[in-house]
Amino acid sequence: MVVSAVLVIEDDDRIRLSLVLALEDEGYAATGVPTAEEGLDAQRDSPADTVLVDLMLPGIDGFECIRQLRRTDDVPIVVISARDDTHDIVAALEAGADDYLVKPVAVKELTARLRALRRRARAAAPDAVPVLRFGDLEIMPEAGEVRRRGEPVSVTRTEFQLLCELADHPGRVLSRQQLLQRVWDYDGGDERLVDVHIGRLRQKIEEDSAAPRHLVTVRGLGYKLQR
Amino acid sequence: MIRAGLRSRVIAGFAAGAFALSATMAFASYEIIRHSLLGERESTAVRAAYYDAAVMRAGIITTTDPDLVALLRSLDTGESRRVLLHRSGEWFARNADAGTTKAVPAELQSRATAGTAAVQRVRADGTPTLVVAVPIAADTVFYEVDSLAELDHTLGVLTIVLTAVAVCTTLAGAALGLYASRYVLRPLVRVEQAAQDIATGASEARLDPAQEPDLARLATSFNHMVDELSARLERDRRFAADVSHELRSPLQTLSAAASVLTRRRDQLDERTATAAGLVADEITRFQQLVDDLLTLARGDQPAQRAPADVAGLARSACRQRGLAEGIVVAEGDTTWNVDRRRVAQMLGNLLDNAAAYGGGATAVRLRLAGDHGSIEVDDEGPGVGPEDKAVIFNRFVRGRAAGTRRTSDGTGLGLALVAQHAAAHGGSATVLDRPGGGARFRIDLPGCGS
Repeated sequence: MVVSAVLVIEDDDRIRLSLVLALEDEGYAATGVPTAEEGLDAQRDSPADTVLVDLMLPGIDGFECIRQLRRTDDVPIVVISARDDTHDIVAALEAGADDYLVKPVAVKELTARLRALRRRARAAAPDAVPVLRFGDLEIMPEAGEVRRRGEPVSVTRTEFQLLCELADHPGRVLSRQQLLQRVWDYDGGDERLVDVHIGRLRQKIEEDSAAPRHLVTVRGLGYKLQR
Repeated sequence: MIRAGLRSRVIAGFAAGAFALSATMAFASYEIIRHSLLGERESTAVRAAYYDAAVMRAGIITTTDPDLVALLRSLDTGESRRVLLHRSGEWFARNADAGTTKAVPAELQSRATAGTAAVQRVRADGTPTLVVAVPIAADTVFYEVDSLAELDHTLGVLTIVLTAVAVCTTLAGAALGLYASRYVLRPLVRVEQAAQDIATGASEARLDPAQEPDLARLATSFNHMVDELSARLERDRRFAADVSHELRSPLQTLSAAASVLTRRRDQLDERTATAAGLVADEITRFQQLVDDLLTLARGDQPAQRAPADVAGLARSACRQRGLAEGIVVAEGDTTWNVDRRRVAQMLGNLLDNAAAYGGGATAVRLRLAGDHGSIEVDDEGPGVGPEDKAVIFNRFVRGRAAGTRRTSDGTGLGLALVAQHAAAHGGSATVLDRPGGGARFRIDLPGCGS
């Protein structure tokens, strides 16, 4: 089994140390850094498979750290923060985080999240149809690629997974809970995760993200992908 | 209700004032008019009677044996007057109508016979009548009986008119009162509006003291109160957020470190392992306590409703606690318009409560009837005593069912949270006796129809 590398960006020494110890116990290769700057450097030099990031960091804060990571990397990013108001959660997800956990997170829960993210990261190569077409959109599950009018669109792995789930059921509505279950492996999770990821996807694949043509909301039910 | 009371008091006051004024005026007018009409009528009647009496006397004196009936007939009396003559104990009239003589009262008759002219108002055959008696010779009295029916009719019409005027004036007074109360209370309605806005969360609602000079002081102190309240709320919110952060960070360290200890339990000697186990358990409970406290601290916000599959929530809550999903029974539509997170927590807390004190939940029933959703969680434990029922939803009340405090992972806040989440939906949480033994916790949530 390939050891999964986790980068922990956390300014609190004790939290960082305890997380690294616990993750190592669980079989991960964990590295801890106290600042976003060091985290960005570490990720550039030796990319980890998953990044855990705190929001309140000295210097560059967590939100900015996520944005900078996302500029070059589709690595799964999990926020671990003591802040739990909607504003922070949505802002972190909009910056590009894949999941948001509120401190204190039980190690069992954390490793379950990491496994779900890895499963997703691997799911990019299933035994799927080569190309799924939705109007000017082309989704290639096998190649892990999305094209709009022939131009490749850069999506994160989670966004891609979400798009594939919807594309597997063309024109059919999937509820937020169904999507949480299939994409994030959550049983009764936070529906804001889905909403923000859908918003991020729309900005990438829709002509006008305020008036989506393909990725539409069905009020009270969920989302569907249509031609 | 105080506002409505004030309003009706103002209206009643205005109406009563208007009534008193108009009734007095009507009564006084009636009396004056009646008096003057009657007086006029009386003097006319007396004048006519004297004239007729003079004519009669002339006839009687100049003739030795006068034909009294012919004399009476010669008088020009019109329709309303009837004439009579009493001479030597005998009545004479124009026609043989004896009825008229009955109208002459005995008292008047005796005074007239004694030689005094007199006037008296009587009621004859239901009609007010004026009787004038004029002695014209020895043992001879001339009577004129004058019907006042017309005057009576006039006064009747006057009574109706004056009563109508009084009633209209009273109604007008009430209407004026209504208008005045509205006008006076309008600024208070604005205060009420502002208070309502604040109650529903628009904490920036304020009154403009310049708009209502009379209520400037009220407006100023109202605004001051609202400012103070929102400042306090803001402080509380910030405190909750600070506490959240300050407690959560060390808890994260504790939780992760405890998991390392738990994982290496086998490598520890028995005493250390037991101690490590205690630490890990208490950290879990502490974590739950902090979560529950924070949820309670900021849980007074209204529920954020959206359609949610409550049967799915209930099944997933059972699954997570190792209970059979089959205990969930749903009746009617299971997509309710509720705050998903709150309902999930209510279900979880009730299941945990049943596990801690009732030997585990045996049934979860969901029912949507019309707009009203109800959730029932049954257990077959010892049930809840009557003295516990009253306080069981209070904070930090733990079950006394077995008489001892059991060691559990409970925080003592679970049911308080259930009650708060139900209240956030405008509903309620209650505990009942399950038929056949055990407890039945019931949550009623109005407005669940989607």
